[in-house]
Parts: sequence; C-alpha cells; structure tokens
Amino acid sequence: MANRKKKPVIGSLQPDVDSMLDWNTLTNDDFAPASSEEKADFIQQRKSVSYWSDAWRRLRKNVVAMVALGVIVLLILFAFVGPMLVPYGYEQRNLGAENLYPHHYTLEEQEQYRQATSTLDPQEAVEQARAEAEAKGEKLTSREEALIRAKAKTGGEYAGMSEEEVYAALGIHSHPFGYSNEELERIANGEKVFPHVFGTDKLGRDIMVRTMYGTRVSMTIGLAAAFIVLIIGSLYGSISGYFGGKVDVVMQRIVDVIYSVPEVLVILLISTSMSPHITQFISDHQGNALAEFMRTIGPNLIAMFIAFGLLYWVSLSRIIRGQILQLKQQEYVTAARALGASGGRIIRRHLLPNCIGQIVVTTCLQIPSAIFLESFMSYLGVGVSAPLTSLGSMCRDALSGFTTYTYRLIIPAVIISVMILAFNLFGDGLRDALDPRLKK
Amino acid sequence: MAKYILKRVVMAIITVLIVSCVTFLLMMSVPGSPFASEKALTPQQQATLDAKYGFDKPLPIQMVNYLKNALHGDLGESLKMQKGRPVAEIIADMFPISAKIGVIALAWAVVVGILLGCLAAYYRGKWVDSLLRVVCTLGISMPGFVVASFLLILFCSPVGPELLKSFELTAIFNPDLGAKAYFMPCFALGLYPMCYTARLTRSSMLDAINQEYIKTARAKGLKGGKIIFKHALRNALIPVITYLGPLVAFTLCGGFVVESVFSIPGLGRYLVQSITNRDYFVIMGTTIFLATFVVLMNLVVDIIYKLVDPRIDLTKGE
Amino acid sequence: MDRNKENEERRDGQLHTEAPASGEKLLEVKDLRVSFFTPAGEVKAVGGISYELNYGEVMGIVGESGSGKSQEAYSIIGLLQSPGKVVGGSIHFEGRDVLAFNKDQMTQFRGSEVAMIFQNPMTCLNPVYTVGNQLVEALKAHDKKISKADAEKRAMEMLELVGINNVEKRMKQYPHEFSGGMRQRVMIAMGLICHPKLLIADEPTTALDVTIQAQILELMKDLQKKTQMGIIFITHNLGVVAEICDKVSVMYAGKIVEQGKVDDIFYRTGHPYTMGLLRSMPRVDAESHERLIPIEGTPVDMLNPPEGCPFAPRCEHCMKICLQKMPPYVELGEGHRAACWLRVQDELKKQREEGAQNG
Repeated sequence: MANRKKKPVIGSLQPDVDSMLDWNTLTNDDFAPASSEEKADFIQQRKSVSYWSDAWRRLRKNVVAMVALGVIVLLILFAFVGPMLVPYGYEQRNLGAENLYPHHYTLEEQEQYRQATSTLDPQEAVEQARAEAEAKGEKLTSREEALIRAKAKTGGEYAGMSEEEVYAALGIHSHPFGYSNEELERIANGEKVFPHVFGTDKLGRDIMVRTMYGTRVSMTIGLAAAFIVLIIGSLYGSISGYFGGKVDVVMQRIVDVIYSVPEVLVILLISTSMSPHITQFISDHQGNALAEFMRTIGPNLIAMFIAFGLLYWVSLSRIIRGQILQLKQQEYVTAARALGASGGRIIRRHLLPNCIGQIVVTTCLQIPSAIFLESFMSYLGVGVSAPLTSLGSMCRDALSGFTTYTYRLIIPAVIISVMILAFNLFGDGLRDALDPRLKK
Repeated sequence: MAKYILKRVVMAIITVLIVSCVTFLLMMSVPGSPFASEKALTPQQQATLDAKYGFDKPLPIQMVNYLKNALHGDLGESLKMQKGRPVAEIIADMFPISAKIGVIALAWAVVVGILLGCLAAYYRGKWVDSLLRVVCTLGISMPGFVVASFLLILFCSPVGPELLKSFELTAIFNPDLGAKAYFMPCFALGLYPMCYTARLTRSSMLDAINQEYIKTARAKGLKGGKIIFKHALRNALIPVITYLGPLVAFTLCGGFVVESVFSIPGLGRYLVQSITNRDYFVIMGTTIFLATFVVLMNLVVDIIYKLVDPRIDLTKGE
Repeated sequence: MDRNKENEERRDGQLHTEAPASGEKLLEVKDLRVSFFTPAGEVKAVGGISYELNYGEVMGIVGESGSGKSQEAYSIIGLLQSPGKVVGGSIHFEGRDVLAFNKDQMTQFRGSEVAMIFQNPMTCLNPVYTVGNQLVEALKAHDKKISKADAEKRAMEMLELVGINNVEKRMKQYPHEFSGGMRQRVMIAMGLICHPKLLIADEPTTALDVTIQAQILELMKDLQKKTQMGIIFITHNLGVVAEICDKVSVMYAGKIVEQGKVDDIFYRTGHPYTMGLLRSMPRVDAESHERLIPIEGTPVDMLNPPEGCPFAPRCEHCMKICLQKMPPYVELGEGHRAACWLRVQDELKKQREEGAQNG
C-alpha cells in the first residue's frame, strides 16, 4: 500500500487509468500461486496475552490504583516496621511528656514567651508588691482589689491572646515534632532524643507509636477477615452449588436469613455474650499458648472474627455458587466429565478461570469493609480492648478533648480514612483490570 | 403476587424467629446471673429475683415464655440502667428520635446519591465524573465517627474556619435548636449511604446506557437528557432499589455511632450503653426489635422491587 | 373488513406523500474510514468504502462478523460509540453532509429521516415501558405539536401496518409480553413511524426463527414498495440478500471487496470471498451430492492489517502479488466491480491480447 504512488479513486465507478498503467509493470511471476508458508508468514497475529499479564498491564496503567497500592505499602511499613524504629512502646508512659502537641518551642523561645506574658507594668508590679505586703497585715479587701487590678493588667499587650497567638506576635514559629522540656534539656546536653512526631496523649504515651499499632491492628483484621471470608465463602458456595437440589435450597435460605440481619447487631450480640466465656477460658487456662494469644487480642476481637466467619462470606459464596451452577449446565463440563476429568481438575481448569477475577476483587474489597467495621466497633468501645489500641478507640478517646487537642482526633481519623480509601481505590482498580467485560 | 408476598412474609417471620431464639440463647449463655455485677446478693434474694424473672425454669421454657411475651409487646424490664422500666416502653421512647435522624439521613442520601450518580454517568470520563468518583470513594472510606469528628472540628473547634463557626452548631445534640441540631448528625449518617448510592447509580446507569434499547432510543432521535432520564434511569434504579434494604440496616447501625458522638438520646446509643452495662433484657429486646425492623424493611423493599420491574411475572410466585 | 381496507389506503397515501420518485440519489458514501482507538492501538474497522443508494433501492451489505458492516452503518446515523471515530471520507444524505451535522441536527436527523432497526429485538426495546409509550415517544421526538391522542392513533395504525392484531391491548403491554417476531415488528413500526427516507436494518432477521424471518422479510419488502424508502440491509446471509436486495456490497475486513447488482453477485461472481460465501450457503436447488464448503481460516487481525489483500491467507487462489499489494477495483460490468488480483490478471491478459492484435 505504502509504495503505491497514486491512490485509485475508490468510489468512482470509472476504470482507473493510472492504476491500470501501473499494472503493466507487473510480471508473470507476481501472479504465481503463493505457497502455504508465504501465506502463513503473511498473517501477523497479535501475540496472545494471558489473562493475568493483560490484567496486570491494565492495572499498571491505572494511576489511581497504583498510587493506592503505594499508599498501602507505605501504611504496611508504617504499621509493621515503624514500631521497630521508634524507641517508645504503645503502652509506655513518658513521664513529663504528657499532652505534648506535635510541635514544640525551644527552651529559649519558651523563656521569651514567659518573659513576654509575665511582663507587668512596673507601676503595677509595685502596686502588687505593696498589696502583698499589706496582705501580711489584714486588709483583705484591698488585697483583693489589688489582685484584680493586677490580673487585669497581666500580660499587658498580650492579654486575652492564646498561646499560639502570643508566639505568633513574638514572631516565633513552632518547630515540628513534640518534645517535653525535660527532653529538650537532654538534647541541649548533647543527648539524642527521638521526637514525639504526633505528640503524646494525656498519659504521656507517644501517639505515633499508638497509631502504628492501631494501623497494624486494622491491617491484620482486614487481611484476616478477608482470608476467613475467602475460605468459608468458597467452601459454602461450592458445596451449595455443587450438590444443588434440596441442599442448595436449605443453604440458600440460611444465606437469606443471614443476609437480612444487620451484621453490626450480630457482632454486638456475639461479643457481648462471648466475651465472658472467653475471659473465663483465659483465666481457666493460664499459661496455655492459645489462652495467652487470646488474651493479647482480647475477647471482643475474637468475637469480631467469629462474626466475620459467620456473616461476611455471604456475597462471596453467592458468586461462587452462581458460577458453579452456571458451569454445571455447560456442555464442556459434561464433556470433561465424560472424558474422566476429576472434580479437582474441573474446578482448576474451568471454574477458577471463570470466577477468579470476581473472587480476587470481592476478597480484596473485603479488607476495607472489615477495617471499617473494626474501627466502628472499637469506636463504640466494643472492639479492640485495652491495652491493645486501635484507630477507632483512639478517636473515641480523643473526642472528649477535641477542642484543645484537635490533632489527637485528626491523626487517627485521617489515617483510618486514608487506609480504607487506599484499599477501596486499589480494589476498584483491580476490578477494572480483572473484569473481562472491559476486555477489548 | 399474593403468593409471592405470602412467601416473603413467611420467610421474614422465620428469620425474626431465628434471630430472636439465637439472641435469647446467646444472652442466656452468659455465665453468671444477670444480677451478678450488683452488690452481693444473699442466696435468698437471688432466688426471689430468679423466680420473679423466671430464671429458675428450664431454658427452653424460659425461651418460649420470653417469645410469647415478646409477641404481646412485653420484652421484659430493664434490670440496671432504668431499673424496672419495661424495655418496650424504653424502645417506644427512644426509637422515634433515632428514626427521625435515620429517615432524614436516608432521604437526602438517596436523593442526592441518585442525582450525583446520574451526573457522573452522564459526564462519564469527564472531569465531573472523576471528581465525583474521588469524592464518593472518599465518602465510603470514612467511617461515620470520622465524618462526625471532622464536622465537629470544622464547626465547633477553634481550628475551624470562622464562617462555619458562625452557624453556632453544638457538639451536643439539642433538639431545641431545630434544624440546626439535626444538620451534623444527619450529614454524618447520610454521607456513606449517599456516596454508596451515587457509585451504585453510576455503575448501574453505565450498565443501562450500554444496553441495546438505549441504542434504539438514540436511533429514534431522542435527546440526550431524555435518553438518560427516561430510558436509562428507570432501568438503572432497579438495582439501586434492591440496595435500599441493606441501606436501611446500615443507617440504623451507623446511628449507634452518630448518636454516641453527638450524645443523641436515641435507641442506638442506648443499646451501646446497655451493652457496656450488661443490661441483658434491654440488649435482647432492642436487638430483636431492630432486627425485626430491618427484616420488615427488606420485605417492603423486595415487594417494591417486584412492582417496579415489569419483567418479573408476579403470578408465578417467584 | 371494509374499514380496514380504507384505513390501509389512507395510510398508503400518507406514506407515499413524502417519498420522492424512485431512482434519485438518496445517499452517497465516499471513502468512509472508521477507526477504533483502543488501548492496544488503532483498529481500522472500516478502511475506505464507497457506495451510492437511490430512493426505493435496497442495498445489502454482506460480510462476516467483525467485517465492519455494522460500524459503517452506525456512522451514517451517528451512533458510533466511543472509542470509534470516523477518520475520513464523506457521507452525503440528499446532498447534505451528514458528518458535518451538529449534535441537534444529528438528533433531528435520526429517526425522522433515517431510522435503524437492530439485530436482537429481545434487548432493543426498553423492558420497563409499554410498547405504546415507546412508539409514541418516537413520534413525539420529531413532532412536538402532535397531541397524545393523535400520536397514539398513529402508533396503533403503524402497529396494524406491521401486522399486529388487537393493537389497543398490545399498546399497553410491555415488551416481554411479545414474542421475538412480534417485537421485531414493533421495532419496524417504531423505525417507520416518522416516515424515514432511509431505513438501516442491522441483521433484523438473524435472531429470529426461520419462518418468522420469512414473514419479516415479506413485511419489509411490502413496506418498502409502499413507501419508496431506501433500505440498507446488513446481513451475513446471502439467502436474505437474494430475497430482498437490489444490489449488494460484500465487505471483508473493513473493505468492500465486491459490489454489484444481485444477479452480478450471484451469477457473475468476481471475488473468491463472495464465491466462498455462495458455496457455504445452503441452496434448495443444489444437487444432492453437492456439499457446503466452509471458508477455511479466520479473518485477519484488524489491529495490524497486513499489506496486501486481507483475504489472501484464506484464499485458495492466493498469488504472490496478493500478499504484497491491495488489489485495485476492476470493473466487471455496469456497476459491478471487485477488488481481486485474479480479475486484474484477467484484465491484463485481455489488454495484452488486444495489444497483440492491434500491434
């Protein structure tokens, strides 16, 4: 095509003189029959792309999903590697470092602040001193007067300003990370002190470490829940679909019942009724490894896992059951059976390729919904129990003082949202990549 | 139709029955007496109390009795929080507040969600769509308490902008403030359902838009708006309706958190409190009541769904 | 009975009024190119096709699935979906440039001047609206002033015209209450309700039973005679073509490989692909021992169309030149041409013989 000099006027029904002239250059050889090898060479077939590499290619192109994946990786590092780098424990109370903001002023700056705010009018200072002296006598009323007068003048030009405003007026900017004064002194003495990046809470516990542990709890629960759901959902769905008939009817009625009851209620109920049993079990089996493990994760969390195992597999089981029912009717499965293929082989060769995408996506989207639920429960105080912490319970603790210590509410709230968002976006991207309907 | 409804009703009754039995058995399996945490009782006092509440009878009889009473609206009495007050009365007292907030939240969520979903589908691939997609994914990624927290920070903390603070919303629910009092709870409660509805509407709109009847409508020379709002939307709404049932359940449970954050004297907050206080009859009664409510809502949604979709032959029962 | 006849006459009159004399040029497509821009690259679904259609003429477009025949039709009516795009050529409808229409003009153009009916009547009607609603809507889209009663009357007349009984009741029914053949009749009624000058039928009988197919074809032939509209009939079934069409374009891999009158195509076949299609078609008059011969192989990958004739790898007469260059069109008779090197070879032989005689 490219070497043709003149395009014939397609569409015109007139004989094309130019191209006819061209024809004269053709030799008899051109009209020799082509061999089958030449024909085979001619077909430039697109190289066939496997399902996974195709899906991966599409996923990689999805910027949002890849960014989400990056965020997930960062959060995993934050949650699992982070606590190793920070020299504080999540239960460790750093004395003298209570209620630190995630920023600090150096000792000199604090001195400046004190001077600025305590600077009194000299006249007033004298008056105050006199009043104090008089107070050693008896004149109570005059002392009160003097005190009031003194109070009114206190702070001079900075009266009625908040701490930050005073600092701002002094032209002092805060420095990132929180340090207690004691720690600042240690730094001044040349010691190295790890900062409280997110500040500390009212017990002096480092908030960053607590967020790390909270994130770890959330991540673990999300992944574990997804795993539980995957196992139970696949089993239930395959059994229901494979046996069909009455078994299927009964099993699907059970699913209907579970589907129509709000899961939060069930979890509340289970954790309420189970936790005394679990507590009992733990105290009865002191020293037992299982009991110790259960003690660490706490009865509420176990109840939550039980609830996941009981309730959350419903949608996955429906997908798998639907696929199996569909497959059972298909002729190639009958053919495979007739050829003596085993059940396992049929599942591997036919069932999985058909619904693996859906299974992966459903399982993946299970993670954020489990994290969501865990934080919800912990927020209500029926999730993760102390001493273990969770982002939800941190938010709950921070609520009472949110006007003063806003950061304590913001930090865990943002992290939990970012985490769920990242999983949701990644799950969406995965769905787009794996959905065969979008395949072109 | 009648057969279908009958079948659904029977299913609903069975579900409620199962839920009630399971609830009862779980609660009764808790070791120790419901009065255990109170000051030590003499065996005699214990026996009197047990006799009064029927705890001395075998478990199956207790259960049948409880269910029988429940059918007559008697869900037992509060043993701790409001000692001696019938649970049914507490529910009747507190549920209306929860319901009011839930209905407002659900209403704005569904209406706005469907509108935004249509908008996103209409401008699919454009910046409007991308923006809405980001916003809605963010919306379904924020648990209710996070939304509520951000609202509090914006409206009620010194960090928030002056403009928002001038609305003078209070962190603690105060029904005397009227609409102002409901703004934050209803927004916090409705955001997730709104975003979920929007996402669902968008995807089901796109599904509908790719159907052949849309091609027919275009070939007929209908205008874009008419195609979207008449032909695609009606079909797209069918899956959205099926989601209304779970949405009601979600809003109900989301209410627990929102009521706790804003100290709203609703049933959800009360249930959570009763759990921390282990007030068993309240937990049991409230759980059964809420589960029944959700099952009922699912039933209604199912029937509406069958009415909206003419393809389903109602005479055949399924 | 009498009333029915009267009605029919009146309707006929009505239908005739807008149709100009047969034989005038209605549609002219020149070097139309349509591409799909997929993530994997540009797929040239239609690679430069040209044809003309007159009033009252029925043209068949024949080809296997993926040959671009539907996409070509969609671009006439402006239904090409993203990522598809017209990348070259022109479409003129009654002398107007269709590709230059703006959105409103296109919307107005669709349905009123050119209508389209689709392959699968099962999915082409909106399941949640009554048939009457959907018919009336088509009418109202192009005639804002028409009253509801009038529109319904017209819709009922139209349904009667396409052979649906009990129209009053049928108008109020939902599509799922109709059988496949009945739905296709509804689709035809919907297409014709605004008296379009051109009807594009995209495999309208493929999804139907054979007996129903015959009925629908009969109906379309009948309506076409009454209205003098042009019809573009897209199909992969040469039997249907023989039944209804005046002329035929055979498409392969986005190109018209042969076009001509029905008789030319059937009896003076110029392209091996057409020949293959004919041989794979069951015939009533076939000798008992004659076998159906399928066309071996699969179509070329449209993502990387090779140089040369796209049919070459499947062609039993394939020559070396076929693999190197796309053949030009060779005139085989009046309005009959084919793009095949075999015909070029014939032509060359003829010319050389003539040359030899002259020289």
